[in-house]
Amino acid sequence: MPTRNFSIIAHIDHGKSTLADRLLQATRAVTAREAREQMLDSMDLERERGITIKASAVTVKHHFEGEEYELNFIDTPGHVDFAYEVSRALTACEGALLVVDSTQGVEAQTVANAYLAVENELELIPVVNKIDLPAADPDGVAMEIEQVLGLPAEDCIYCSAKTGEGIPELLDAICRTLPPPRDPVTEKTRALIFDSHYDDYRGVIVYFRVFDGALRVGDRIRMMGTGRTFTISELGRYTPQPTKLKEIRHAEVGYMVAAIKTLDDVRVGDTITIDHDPAEEALPGYEEPKQMVFCDFYPATSAADAGKKGDYEDLREAVEKLHLNDASFTYQTQHSEALGFGFRCGFLGLLHMEIVQERLEREGGVEIVQTAPTVSYEIALTDGTEMEIHNPAELPDTATIAEMREPIVKLEIICPNENIGDLMKLCDGRRGLFKGQRYVSDTRQILDYELPLAEIIYDFYDKLKSITRGYGTMDYEIIGYRADKLARISILVNGQPVEALSLICHRSNAEVRSRAILKKLKKQIDRHQFEIPLQAAIGGKIIARESIKGVRKNVTAKCYGGDITRKRKLLEKQKEGKKRMKSVGSVNIPQEAFLAVLEQGD
Amino acid sequence: MPRSSSTLVTQITSDGRGIQDFSVPITGAISAADLPLNPPSEGVRGLYLHVPFCFHKCHYCDFYSIVDALGRHEQFVHRLLRERDAAAEAMGDTPETIFVGGGTPTLLPAASWRELLAGLASSIGPGLAEFTVEANPETVTGELLDVLVAGGVTRISIGAQSFQPAHLQTLERWHDPENVARSVERARAAGLRRVSLDLIFGIPGQTVDDWADDLARALALEPDHLSCYGLTYEPNTPMTIRLRRGDFEASPDETTAAMYELTRHTLALAGYEHYEISNWARPGERCRHNLLYWTNRSWWPLGPGAAGHVGGVRWKNAPRLSEYLESSGLPPITDVERVDADGVVGERLMLGLRLIDGLPLGVIDELLATGGRGSTRAAAIAKHEDAGRLERANGRLRLTETGQLLADLVLVDLI
Repeated sequence: MPTRNFSIIAHIDHGKSTLADRLLQATRAVTAREAREQMLDSMDLERERGITIKASAVTVKHHFEGEEYELNFIDTPGHVDFAYEVSRALTACEGALLVVDSTQGVEAQTVANAYLAVENELELIPVVNKIDLPAADPDGVAMEIEQVLGLPAEDCIYCSAKTGEGIPELLDAICRTLPPPRDPVTEKTRALIFDSHYDDYRGVIVYFRVFDGALRVGDRIRMMGTGRTFTISELGRYTPQPTKLKEIRHAEVGYMVAAIKTLDDVRVGDTITIDHDPAEEALPGYEEPKQMVFCDFYPATSAADAGKKGDYEDLREAVEKLHLNDASFTYQTQHSEALGFGFRCGFLGLLHMEIVQERLEREGGVEIVQTAPTVSYEIALTDGTEMEIHNPAELPDTATIAEMREPIVKLEIICPNENIGDLMKLCDGRRGLFKGQRYVSDTRQILDYELPLAEIIYDFYDKLKSITRGYGTMDYEIIGYRADKLARISILVNGQPVEALSLICHRSNAEVRSRAILKKLKKQIDRHQFEIPLQAAIGGKIIARESIKGVRKNVTAKCYGGDITRKRKLLEKQKEGKKRMKSVGSVNIPQEAFLAVLEQGD
Repeated sequence: MPRSSSTLVTQITSDGRGIQDFSVPITGAISAADLPLNPPSEGVRGLYLHVPFCFHKCHYCDFYSIVDALGRHEQFVHRLLRERDAAAEAMGDTPETIFVGGGTPTLLPAASWRELLAGLASSIGPGLAEFTVEANPETVTGELLDVLVAGGVTRISIGAQSFQPAHLQTLERWHDPENVARSVERARAAGLRRVSLDLIFGIPGQTVDDWADDLARALALEPDHLSCYGLTYEPNTPMTIRLRRGDFEASPDETTAAMYELTRHTLALAGYEHYEISNWARPGERCRHNLLYWTNRSWWPLGPGAAGHVGGVRWKNAPRLSEYLESSGLPPITDVERVDADGVVGERLMLGLRLIDGLPLGVIDELLATGGRGSTRAAAIAKHEDAGRLERANGRLRLTETGQLLADLVLVDLI
């Protein structure tokens, strides 16, 4: 039976999941009644955010020119933080549907995903979706696709995943246009892991594509990257109901259960082979996940209770449990003078960080205080050694540092013409290096920049959205480390340095950043009974200062018959409130201050 | 008929947290008749009537009032008198003070006032020392004043707030400042000797000079009593919402503090005694009714939204006019709380130290010996004395002038 392996790639909200559902329906894999909305996204969170976090694979059948085709649809995560996972999923395919919303046009992630597919030598079918909407401009969007991506406009398939229009044509195009799987290149078995997830009852479920040979139930397998071995206890595929199989052969896609206890044992991109008859060479492209963004999670409790074990234990349990499901974030115990016991966690990117936080809160039922994110820095020391730090507190003595390097991203922004000037100003203000500018259409352009990751992890995306009134989109990719004049700023409250407030930033805007931070801190810390100096310092040198004046007035103006109970309760609340602060010296700092001060405000 | 379900009576415990003390099993609402009130040995000293009608709701006000009375004035007066009848036994003797607040009491038509005062006559005995009615400048007519005086009212408290239209507008007060002078003249002409003015300072945009001008214009009217309140942003008021929304900025603490100091200085020179944090009076003209609150005495509440304190129990009539009008006897109540011994100590300190003369040292010693946290409170008093916020003078403990501006800082440690 002829086989086609394909993915759908799209910018967020361009209708990828709806299209997937519609394809399943059209091939009668599910009836309309069975079709839960967006069947392939299994987690609440994904559905709510409209993004797909974990891929899965579904096998369906389609009749084309008198033959029955087997179509393996491999779902991919939709965000660049998961670029590596996306690229592995794409490797498992020969083709991809590039979906573009006909009311929105080509967006930053459309471009990034299309390039990723092209790099992986996939055949692309451009699909212009949502043509049922009144604002649809399919011809204009097809022209954008031709202009930006070089895919001929006349090859675009117009469809509406909502109404089903164009879906039969799309299924035919998949069979006709996409290439068949390549032939085996070796006698030995090689299967690519493109996804995995953790099931409470069966352990890790591994999704794979067989490139050479075959896998059978009972096979002793070896992961070529990690060297771990397991015995296959179950094989199958989703149609989309799970269907058990005895064997999965060349060019086919499926899942396996093999008594694998943790996701750490399974790496996306790794090659599965037969333990007693291994392949000589693994499939190309395997990489260790690399965490680029770091922050601390602490249990959200009153500082008076911080250090108590209960909440920390709950958080630890939640973190460990989530790690079973997502091995791509790292964690280690952290203790902050201000916030008690918690974890320093590393993420693939910003969205990944947000997702982990939300899942911890939602699935783990813990409330989290999250510190401002930082990036990972490479430090070259004067003695010739190198180190990597994820936390300003880890920075060694300035005198021993020869060079500090920070991660740099290649940033691509698609925006309306009229916002180009403001966006360039924004990027220049964030130490951006202008790389180029291209037209998408008469009204929109692509801006290419290189800039430090540290400059986009705070509020860059919010700024972009507000400048473009929501129309701008961005995507980025980490391209390496670059040395720059970086420095650690220490914040002193009432003369005492507060470790949890220190940060690393570029020397040229240290003063500006410091002043902004002190201003924020000034707003967060209540007036005390005495004046509190706030200072920012690099090394021993004070570079900015503020002060919080002593309280001048704190008196209830009216206290009559009906007010007495309420005023007493207000005073009691004030007393309670005081307890919920972190004392540094004799100054009470609210927890929020630790988070708010590191937001970058202009 | 939907009824209040807040029927839990809360015991205030020594750690300051309320615990449920007893609940009154009810099918409808409870009323003050269900309360286990110990008849106070000294009797109920005061009577507070709440008139919940307003022409317009001022943006800083969080008292219960409704703007659309729908002709329910007459019905309200009848109900108020029936409530008084039902409370007569529990109240015991006729009160020493009566205070009619609101809302806007002077929004009741003269005819309603005539009927109300006629009905209240039986509550007025030889011991009545003061009968105050709150008034808004725009509602004070000669006819109404005649009715009030004839009915035994001895004192009027006029909500002037400011003499500058711009600041009145910020507060959403729409009276003409000239009306304040007119109201004072009319009150005097009608024979109301005791006149008090309410003023507000710390209004967004108000300068210290503006405030000095307000004070001068108030003094020119020669009131017997002045209440000067720093503007407070009460939760759930339009003023607070507008502040949060960024419509204006709150007056800086330095400015309001300077205004307060100016008030103290100006009014002292003009011969007024500062007797409570926000109140000044000519000798002998202190508000006796309000002093009941600050000395933790008993008073009985009438009208929806009115709060009372009798025999160690605090409660509030449910603030819903229609429910009030439909009820009979004593109306449904809410927010019931019996204050325990330690709570009483906290409240007496909180209230007593608002008075500029403070509390006699003997009383302080007695209070510290009663409460569960005598040594903690004694230490707090010592701390604030050291910091110059409390002082001993003439055998009393009182706030210093600095302490008056930082009263909450002190009181939070004493409740």
